[in-house]
Amino acid sequence: MAVVLGTLGWVIGMAASPDPMAGVFGLVIALIVWMILAMVSFTGGDAILLASSKAVPVTKDMHPQLFNVVEEMAIAAQLPVPKVYVINDPAPNAFATGRSPQSASIAVTAGLLGRLNRDELQGVIGHEMSHILHRDILFVTVAGVMLGAITLIAEVFLRGMFYSSMGRRYSSRGKGSGQAQAIMLLIAIVAAILAPIMATLLYFALSRKREYLADAGSARLTRYPEGLACALEKISQNTVPLSVANKVTAPMYIVNPLQKEGMKLSDLTSTHPPISERIKILRSMSGASFIDYSDAFKKTTKLTAPIPSSALTAEKPVSVRGSSSPQTSATAKSQQRSIGDIMFKTNGFSFVNCSCGLKMKIPPNFTASQVKCPRCGQVLPIS
Amino acid sequence: MDCPACKNPMIVLELQQVEIDHCVACGGIWLDGGELELLLEDEKRGKLLIDSFKQAQSSKERLRPCPICLKKMHKINAGQENHPVIIDRCPKGHGLWFDRGELSQVLAKGTLDKDRKIIKLLAEIFDKDKCEAKNDS
Repeated sequence: MAVVLGTLGWVIGMAASPDPMAGVFGLVIALIVWMILAMVSFTGGDAILLASSKAVPVTKDMHPQLFNVVEEMAIAAQLPVPKVYVINDPAPNAFATGRSPQSASIAVTAGLLGRLNRDELQGVIGHEMSHILHRDILFVTVAGVMLGAITLIAEVFLRGMFYSSMGRRYSSRGKGSGQAQAIMLLIAIVAAILAPIMATLLYFALSRKREYLADAGSARLTRYPEGLACALEKISQNTVPLSVANKVTAPMYIVNPLQKEGMKLSDLTSTHPPISERIKILRSMSGASFIDYSDAFKKTTKLTAPIPSSALTAEKPVSVRGSSSPQTSATAKSQQRSIGDIMFKTNGFSFVNCSCGLKMKIPPNFTASQVKCPRCGQVLPIS
Repeated sequence: MDCPACKNPMIVLELQQVEIDHCVACGGIWLDGGELELLLEDEKRGKLLIDSFKQAQSSKERLRPCPICLKKMHKINAGQENHPVIIDRCPKGHGLWFDRGELSQVLAKGTLDKDRKIIKLLAEIFDKDKCEAKNDS
């Protein structure tokens, strides 16, 4: 991707002036743009991403189970406990961000918390924890920013071309170099169009590989691949798109948040491997180690697993544990309600409990100082 | 969330783990996407009911914005051909809007609500409301 960025800078520089030094100058400019963006993302990238996803930090007493699971996975991965955020969105999804395991954050949506049981939540948190463990979080931030830089430079050049084409006729230059420059200009236009596309494809290919690796890591950390498989199944049944996601943040999430229903998952532009394939691999694992994942991967896809061989050689077998949380529809409902209540509280709702059993949740912009219970007609004050 | 009909802030009501958004001013009910299925306690029956909804041919009702995405909602006929109940549905699937009394009319249809549990529940929640509405008129 750095190559694509450098080439783009060089070609645009060459197009701007016939001087051979101009190419180098363009390259330097491109690198400077990237460095500024990289520095911003390195120091405050996670904060920007979290803010743009409207994630709110949660405390331990708000959702003890989530904290419990996160702590458990942090211990299993031998990492410090990351900060935990919740996104108020009904679409189930999760992501991890930060520049190092010491300053990592995990964000999950309210929809995810409301729908998954403990085992499944553990699978998802394990997946995010292995993203942190493999330093994918830094990769996504840096690669995402590089993609941003490439797009930015190409865009500025193309727009600049468009607006400056009228003024160009006034500049007087030698005829010979003018022709060479025209050719260079043509190449620059083509490069400016192709570079963002190529960079995007590279970005996507890299992030797909990392999803498989994080799945394998989750299976190993939880010793229960079925948990993640079930979670992925539940997440894939969702039809509501995540409203806070965009093209650059999409690869961060556990499943592609921009996926439209009925769209074919396995194509070149997908940031994530097809969910059905991920589930199949997880379900055909005989143990919970990287070797088992690698074997299951080969069986399902007929390709070599994207797991470094160093991880495979020095590994002890990990056995699969049993399921721990049976779930009935009644608990699922109350779970969804309790998550909803947490989100209401973070959004400044006040709660009024009527003696007849009806619970009222009053939004902060409700102006009246009292509310009449629609069930029993009692007038209750809003605290 | 603000009421799509009269723009007043809606309050959230919860009874026996059924949660609905209710407008105190106009008595309408907003159900988030998937909330109707939860209400029916059966995804299959919920899906059956939602699949039976048809685009209303012509409706004199004013188009209302979805309280979540502010997109104009579609008018949907949730009743029978000869006895239409016109409700609003968000084109993006954020939820359904029922004017006062429409939800019980929709649920009363056919054998969807066999034990009439939901109607009873709704009646229980809005019993007082309806009585007062009668008294008012």
